[in-house]
Parts: sequence; structure tokens; C-alpha cells
Amino acid sequence: MGDKENTGTTAPLLSVRGIYKSFGLNAVLKGIGLDIMPGEVLALIGGNGAGKSTLMKIIMGIYSHDSGELAINGQTVALNRPAEALAQGIYMVPQEPLLFPNMTVEENVIIGFDKSKAELHKELVDTMRDVGWNLDLGRKAGSLSIAEQQMVEILRGILRHARLLILDEPTSALTFDEVKSLFQVVRDLREKGIGIIYITHRLAEVFDISTHVAIMRDGTITVQGPVDNFTRDDLVKGLLPPDAEVNTQTKSAGTSKVDYSAQPVLELENFSGYGFSDVSLKVWPGEILGVAGVVGAGRTEMATTIFGMDKVLRGRVLLNGSDITGKKTRQVIAAGINYVPEDRHLNGLFKICDVSANTTSASLFGGALGKVFLNRRSEFDITEKYVKNFRTKVTGHDQLAGSLSGGNQQKIVIGRSLATDPGIVILDEPTRGIDAAARGDVYHIIHQLREQGLSILLISSDMEELEELADRVVTMYQGRINAEFQKADINQDNLTAAAFGIVEREAKEA
Amino acid sequence: MNVVKKFVKAREFTSFLFLVALFVIVGVINPAFLTLDNISACFNSSVVYTLIAVGMAFAIFIGEIDVSVGSTMGLSAAVAGTMIQNGSNWFLAFLVAIVIGVVVGLINGWGVAVMKIPSLIFTLGTNGILRGMMYLQVGAEQVNNLPKEFKDISSMTLIGSFTIYYCCVVMLAVAIHFLLTRTKRGRYFIAVGDNAGGAELVGIPATRTKVMAYLICGVLSAVAGIIFASRIGIVTSLSGNGYEMKAVAACVLGGISLSGGVGSVIGAGIGAVIMASISYLLVFMQFPSNYDNAITGVILITIVVIDALMQRRTAVNNRHARLAARTSAAPSGKEGLEQ
Amino acid sequence: MSEKSPKLGGQSGLRRLWNGPNFRWNFFLLILLIGECAVFGAANEKFLSLTRVFTAANDFLPICMISIFVTFVMITGGIDIQVSSIVGLTSIVIGVAWQDFGLNIWAAVALAVVVAALCGALSGFFIAYCGVQAMVVTLGGSFLYTGLALLVSTWSSTEAYKGISGFPDSFKALTKTKLFDFIPLQIVIFLAMVVVAHLLLHRTKYGRKIYLVGVNPSAAEYSGINSRLVIMSTYILSAVSAAIAGIIMTSYLGTAKSDLGGSLTMNIITACVLGGTLSTGGKGSVLGTTMAALAIGLLRFGMPLCFKIQAQYLDIPVGVLLVVVVVGRAIASNPNVVAWFGRLRGKGKVSRAGI
Repeated sequence: MGDKENTGTTAPLLSVRGIYKSFGLNAVLKGIGLDIMPGEVLALIGGNGAGKSTLMKIIMGIYSHDSGELAINGQTVALNRPAEALAQGIYMVPQEPLLFPNMTVEENVIIGFDKSKAELHKELVDTMRDVGWNLDLGRKAGSLSIAEQQMVEILRGILRHARLLILDEPTSALTFDEVKSLFQVVRDLREKGIGIIYITHRLAEVFDISTHVAIMRDGTITVQGPVDNFTRDDLVKGLLPPDAEVNTQTKSAGTSKVDYSAQPVLELENFSGYGFSDVSLKVWPGEILGVAGVVGAGRTEMATTIFGMDKVLRGRVLLNGSDITGKKTRQVIAAGINYVPEDRHLNGLFKICDVSANTTSASLFGGALGKVFLNRRSEFDITEKYVKNFRTKVTGHDQLAGSLSGGNQQKIVIGRSLATDPGIVILDEPTRGIDAAARGDVYHIIHQLREQGLSILLISSDMEELEELADRVVTMYQGRINAEFQKADINQDNLTAAAFGIVEREAKEA
Repeated sequence: MNVVKKFVKAREFTSFLFLVALFVIVGVINPAFLTLDNISACFNSSVVYTLIAVGMAFAIFIGEIDVSVGSTMGLSAAVAGTMIQNGSNWFLAFLVAIVIGVVVGLINGWGVAVMKIPSLIFTLGTNGILRGMMYLQVGAEQVNNLPKEFKDISSMTLIGSFTIYYCCVVMLAVAIHFLLTRTKRGRYFIAVGDNAGGAELVGIPATRTKVMAYLICGVLSAVAGIIFASRIGIVTSLSGNGYEMKAVAACVLGGISLSGGVGSVIGAGIGAVIMASISYLLVFMQFPSNYDNAITGVILITIVVIDALMQRRTAVNNRHARLAARTSAAPSGKEGLEQ
Repeated sequence: MSEKSPKLGGQSGLRRLWNGPNFRWNFFLLILLIGECAVFGAANEKFLSLTRVFTAANDFLPICMISIFVTFVMITGGIDIQVSSIVGLTSIVIGVAWQDFGLNIWAAVALAVVVAALCGALSGFFIAYCGVQAMVVTLGGSFLYTGLALLVSTWSSTEAYKGISGFPDSFKALTKTKLFDFIPLQIVIFLAMVVVAHLLLHRTKYGRKIYLVGVNPSAAEYSGINSRLVIMSTYILSAVSAAIAGIIMTSYLGTAKSDLGGSLTMNIITACVLGGTLSTGGKGSVLGTTMAALAIGLLRFGMPLCFKIQAQYLDIPVGVLLVVVVVGRAIASNPNVVAWFGRLRGKGKVSRAGI
């Protein structure tokens, strides 16, 4: 590890050697080796199920490993409980902050310390001044935004004098500004010689913030070393399975033209609700309209409000010319819109139900599945249709959805929406958290649907995805549409700039 | 935050106001009620409920429940009662009762915290076993003829017309309250109930804390059993039956959330007084005591429904405010999202 | 959801049945039932007399009837501890309406069922639409409905502790009639309830919605399912089943009392859990609960008959059964144990291959 910032003679802060771990018969980690020196930021990337979080839980002492060893400052240690990891100066900021919602910010930070309250209070105030944050210490943690909750978590880590901080996808719920301030904090901490493991899905961040990088795939580390040694393409290659052909699908989106003179399928007129305002847009038959933006721009809120999950404040929604504003979810579905939620686990999947129950769950009203009694044959047919069309890998219709891989789960959820025979589907981040191969499959499905004349409203934060799929893209920024791009103008630079609120004239600032 | 303000905002303060309002209303209807004797009688009669409710509060704090408290109380009352009846040392009887509480608490704690069995189900099982053991102990008879001196303790007063028992229990509850709020380990109970995963991550031993909570719950129920025997003087095989539900109701009335992580033992104590007072108050309102259960039910449901609606309203409003703050007034390039 | 489309290939039918979500548990329950019959039958052959079992069934039939529908509630992720108070309420409403308000007995019965349904709907409304925990609401409900039952009993000219008796024969016939001179009518009613519940839960769209709401209420909303209505309806169903049990008990005992069914709650919940219902929702079956309720019932019948154990002590074996089963299941589902079994099976295969 020849890093210019370190002398190279000190023992690594944390050294992970040959860690194996299986759950039951399922081997999750197959010999992991990692070193992290003081002042390093190690970006750890990998798809879902690669074993990142298992590894982190082993480092935190939540899980025990089957074989291998952990060493801190060169000394082999046994970390059997989180308390022991904390005592060794390791602190993890989990992806979803695990605060005590009914306690105040201050209580949240100082819980578990031996020192007196007054002492801790002073230390906390000093620390906050150091990092330049301003949090109301008396507020209940339950009322904080995700970003603020993460700040509280990081404060906990700093106050504990953690020498190794693990940040698990810290930016996944942050706004652009918050990301900037988080990166500043990470840099400050690095200066102080704290080692940081930075888990992320976003390759761009790796080059922004880290000194080293490691890629995990399928329980092993495929690539690691100083970040300067790699290009973006190297990292992508490391993420893909060795035998996977890189998705070289050409842009087939251009094959059939959208008829812009026809009546729009979906039309929003000055549509306003909580989290978005004055949104006007039209989607034509057979068109894929991309909605770009950063997390928190109001896109999901717009979609769920169309879908009848929240109150409409102003404006109208027209579906094929008829007004469906403010209708209930089942009425919206019956009218011909369906929505594939962003959070698959929370809002999409019935994990302990089988594939067929999942696929047909949105078709239970109306006569498709029989009047009172469930028609097993139509249930089978619907399920079979989507399993086959989407090439979903299942052992049978009775396999539980929770035991499928992320990509196959996503296919099931998309199939469920299509089973209601909609004229337009809203796909919200359809490829979040699924591996590259499954991503290709989902793209293929989207193309296929478009060919069949279905309209798609595609919400995505992945500009590459929009470039690949969309016929037209609007960008949302702070709850409003701030730009629209025709097919020819869709490129990652344009979209990214607009998503971050930089429209042409201000582009230089970026 | 100002101490007074903090006190007023506390959930148990609302319960306290409710109790005061209850007394005032009854006093208005029948002024004869408003004597110190009557009011202290309300408090004194709540002593067994208070103890069990404080114990139950621990189980609820950690986000679980213990429906075996009634049987634990009954068994300890039966065993200790029989020993005292047979003339054995009171201290020894007391000790045996405590041991019963410890054993029951450890078993419940093991099942819930270590084996991770849903608490309602596991304690339902232990409840059945304990109740059966109580029949074994008492049989078709009843434990009575307890020595007069033993029964007399229950009517001795310490401060004003408050009994020794009630004063001791209040002191105990206050002491527990301070341990819970002022010590590092005391905070663990609330923390585990608030967010068990998060508690593990900051080094709180969640399993041990849960076992501890059940242990305390068991011991307090056992102590309640002795007081029960002394106050009532008779233990039948049905004694303590249904107390678990009354204890849960007392906790809920005292502002403790059944989802865990919210509330205080003081609240549980106040809730217990409300529970115990209702039948007493009905007498003064010249209602037949038959209304007791119905009124308890109405109060309980009203309070939790209002509380749930208010909480949901705040949650929705917070969410909407947060979302609205994200929406810019006009599409300018102005920075500074999130409030 | 244990039935699958027959034309799905891949696995043999038997194996698929074995791997089905409820089958293994139901199989275990069946063994338990057979075991009970064998042990009690061996100890005392009177146990094996069907007539005797049918007579004894009157004591545990309410548990069986109610627990089937409480299973519905538990599948949605809720719990219902107010049902036992509704049994008493039903009974006293029948008695008072008939004796003191001069209603026709069947009109009184209908009134009682409506009252019970309203009680269930009220609690269900608070749980589903106001978002209050089911445990608290039904706890409050159990106080409230017990209290209501007492109140109703004060409207009667008969002293509450005596109970209202002297019902017309047509009403008593409900539990005196025997089909083919052999099977008591209440058993037939119970079996009909099992069949209806089974069809409702496992064969209808409504039943599917109950499962989906229990597994993931939010995803159910996104599927356009009115989860609140579904949740509320299960409480109405459980209340109505409690009413039916109350009617049967009143008819059998010949007296209407406000405190009937007081001690049923624990047994009902035990039957549901023992039947494989997941207390967190999403899992459970009518067949499982029925068998578990029968197992508890036979235990309550067989223990006193064969081992001269007094009825009061029966809470011990039921409690032990519950604790042993849940602990056993927790151990069996522990990943380390599963892996150990897996290895064992793997080794077995290897050694067999070696031979």
C-alpha cells in the first residue's frame, strides 16, 4: 500500500484477513482481505448481495465470522459485540440511521457514555462548532430529516473518538448541498488521521472523495488499490461477473417514432402537492418520458400523488382526456395508470408470499381473477405470462418473493403493475439496487413495453439510464420542472446540470 | 429547556391532569367526596396495581409485554400466604416470593430476549403454567386465616392517611424513576424499546437489558403478591386473574406507548391510581358499580384513539412541512434546501 | 395459500405439498392429535368413544369456533382479546331481549349477532382507521363489552348471578338435536364454520387480500387494496364468530349470563399460535388453527378423564404445550440448526452414495 499520505511504516488501522462467513448453507463472504491505514478513505463498492453489509456487521461485532481474523493497529482482536468494536474505536453510520426517535438529539448522541452529562454537553457543543453544524439539541430525533439524522450519527462517532468510521451509503438520501457538506466533513476527518470506509453505489463519488477503492462481488474482493490507479471503466469491469458480456444493446428506442399529434395519454396541468409544485407535462402514446432530478426533488411525491396516495393541492391530472385528479388508488389503477414504487421492499414486495400472489396482487379488484373466488387458472396464466416474458428466474410460482434476487424481485413488481393492463406505467428508479445483468434485463423489458405501445413515465436519478431509454426528459429541481430535453439533447452532462439546478446560463459555475 | 416547561410537556403530566379532573368532576357532583380520606383511599387502594403497573412498564418500555404478571402475583401471594399462615418467618416468606419473581422473570426474559419468541405468546404460555401451579398450591380451598398482625400492616398509615404500603411503593417508584432517567444503564431500557437495532450499535447490550426488564417485572409482581395477601387477607386460586390487563391499561392511561421507548414509571403509577379510583368514584356519583368496566374501557379507548390521531396528525404535518420546504417558491437557482 | 395450480411442473406433487408453507406444520399438528388420541385412548378406552367426545366438545367448541376467525385477525397482523367479552355480551343480550323485552327468541338471537358485529366494527374502526394498536383497542374493548354486558344484565328483572333461563325448546334444540341421531347439531355448525372459513381465507379474493395486507400493508395499499377496510372486516368476523359461540353456549347451558366465556381469551390465542399463525401477520391457516384448537380441546378432555387431573390444573399442560412449541420452533428455525440439519442430510446422501 504505497500511499503518499502515509509513511507506510505504521501498522494498518484495521486489517481484515481471510474472512469467511456463511449463513446456514449460504456462503456470503469467501475470504475477504482488506487493509485500511489512518487517514485513508476506502471506497467500498459492490452490488446488493455482494456481502458489503455482512462484512461491515462483522467489523462492528454484530455478526461473528466463521474463519479469518481482524487486526487493529496490528493486534489481532476478537469483536463479538458492538460494544467491543466501539471500544476499539470503530463506529458505523448505518445507511438508514438507527437513532432513538423519541429521544432528543443530545440524548441520542451521549447515550452509552460513562462521563457526566455536563461534560458531554460541552464536548458535543464544541464538536458541533468544529464541524460547523447547527442542530437543535433539544429536538426529538424522530422529527429530523435523513440528512440531519446522519449528522447525529456522525457526531456520535466523533464524540466517541472513533479512529475508524464506516459510512454506509451516506449520500443515498442527501440533497446536493448536503452531499457537499458531508464530503467536507469527510475530508476534515481524514486530515485528523481518521480512517474511513465509505460504502457507495455511485462511482462518481469514488473519485471525488476516496483515496483507495475496493470492489466486492459475490463475497470476494475483485479489485483494490489506490484510486489513482483506476479509471471508471476499470471499476465497472470489476463490478461485472467475469463471464458477463457487457451490455452492448444499441439504442433501440429510436426504431418507432412517437406520434406527437395524437392525444396525450397522461397530462398534468399545474399539478401541485406536498413536495412539488406547478408541474405541467404531457406523455404521448408509446413514449418514454424520463423525469430526471436528484433525490428529494419531488419526483416520487408527484408520482404517488397521481397514484392517489397523498393530497392534491392544485391542478389536474388527465388520463386520455378524462379527469382523474384526486381519485383513490384503486380507481387510478382501474382507470389505467400503474406505479412501480421506488422502495421495492417497503411498498412493492410481499416477501413471505409466493410469486403468483405477488404478481396478481394489484389485479384483485375487477373480474380478472374471478368475482368472489380466486380463479386459479387465470392466476396461473397471468403469473406465467410475466415470468416467461421477463425471463424471471424462479423455481416455481410457489417460490417466496423474499428469496429471489433483487433483479428478479423488481421484475415481479413490474409484472404486478402490468398485470392490471395499464395505458401508462410510472417506473420509479426501476434499477436501483440491482446488479448489472438484471439491469440489462429491465432495460430490455422497458424497450419491449414501449414497442407494444405502452407509455412510460420513467423516474430515474441515473442519467445514463435516461440517456439509454428516454424519448424525452424533463428535469425536476426543488419540486418544479426546470428544463425539458428532446431526444437529441439528452446527454448526461445536460441532465446532471439541470438536475442540480444549473440551467444553461449558470452552467459555468459548475 | 426550562424545567417547568419540560415537566408540563411530559406525557405523564397529561395523565395527572386527567386524574385531577376526574376528582374535581366527582367533587362537583358530590361534594362529600372531596375529603382527604376519600382521596387518599383512592391512592391507597391502587398500591397493588401501582406495583404491577411499574413492573409492566419495564416490559412495555423495551417494546414487549408480560401477561404473566397476574399469575406471578397470585402465585407469590399463595406461596407466601401459605407460609405465613403456617407460622413461618415473614422474612423467609418474603424471600421465597422474591425468588419466585426472579425465576419467572428470568424464564420470561430468556424466552423473549434470547429465544426471540413474541412476548405476548411466550408470557401467555408461562401465564398458563403459573396459574396452574397456583391451583396446585391453593387447591379448591383458599389461603385465609392469615395472622392479624400481617393483615394489620396494610392499614397502618405513615404520612397523613396514606398507608405504609403506598408510601413505600411511591418511594420505590420515584427511586426507579430516577435510576431510569439519571443513570447510564437506566436509559438503556427506553433506548432498547425505542430502537433495538440502534441500541446494539451504540454498544447497549439489548438482550441483557431485556432480560433485566423481565426480571424487574417479575420481582415487582411478586412483591405485589405479598402486599395483596396482606391487604385482602384471602388468596383464592383466582387471585390476580386479569391483573395483567389492568396493568397494561394503567400503563396506557399513564402515557406509556405500547410500541415501546416512551413513557415513565411515574406515569404508570398515575395510571394505576386512575384504574383503582374508577370504581370508588362511581360510588360517589351514585352509579352502580356495574359501570366500572364499561367506563374503564371507554376511557382507555378514548385516550389511545385521541393520542394516536394526534400523533398521526403531527407526523403528517411534519412530513408535509418538510416536503413543502423542499419546494422552491420560484424556479430560481437559490441554494439552501431542507429548511 | 397452500394450494397451487396442479399443472406446475418441476417438483413431484408430494414434495411440493411437503414444502408448502403450512403443510409441515399441519402435519406436525396431525401427529400431535393422533398422539393425544393414542396416549389417552391407551390410558382409558372411554376416551375413544365418539359420543363422549361429542358431549365433552361442548366445553371446548367455543375455543375452536372463535379461534378460527381470530386467525383472520392475526394474519392481518393484529390481535383480538375482546372476543371472550363478546361471548358474554351476546348471551345476556339474547336473554334480556327475549325475557324482558319480549322479543321472539330468534329475533333476539339476530339482535345479539348484530350487536356483536357492531362491537367488532367499532374496535376494528379504531384499529384500522385511527391507527391504534390492536392490543390496546381490544383490551379496552374487553373492558367495555364486559361492562356493557353487566349493564344489560341490570335491565333484567332476574338477578345477574342467577342468569336468565327457561328458553323455548326451539332455541334449546340448537344443541339438543342430533344429526342421524348421532352428531350433535353444534358440531355440524362448527364444521360448517370451518368449511366457510377455509373457503373464505384460502379460496376467495378477500382471503388473498387478508394475507397481502398482513404481509405488507404498505405494498397492499400500492396494489390498490383497501387495507383498512380489510383489517376492520376481520374484527367484525371474529366478533360474529364469538356471537355464534355465545349463542351455542347459551343454548347448551340453557342460561344467559353476562360472564360467559370469560376465560377463553388465553386458550383462543394459544390455539391460533399453536396452529402456526404468525403473530406478526401474513401466515396462518384455518386447518392449522382448527387442529390446534382440537388438540387443546382433547387435552382438556383427556387429562381429567384419563389421569384424574382436575380441570383447574389444565392451564399447566396447555401452557407447557404452548411454551414447548414456540421454543421448539424458535430453535428449529435458528440458521445454525438448519445448517446442521442440512449437513446431516448432505452427509446421509454421501454415505448412501458410497454404498
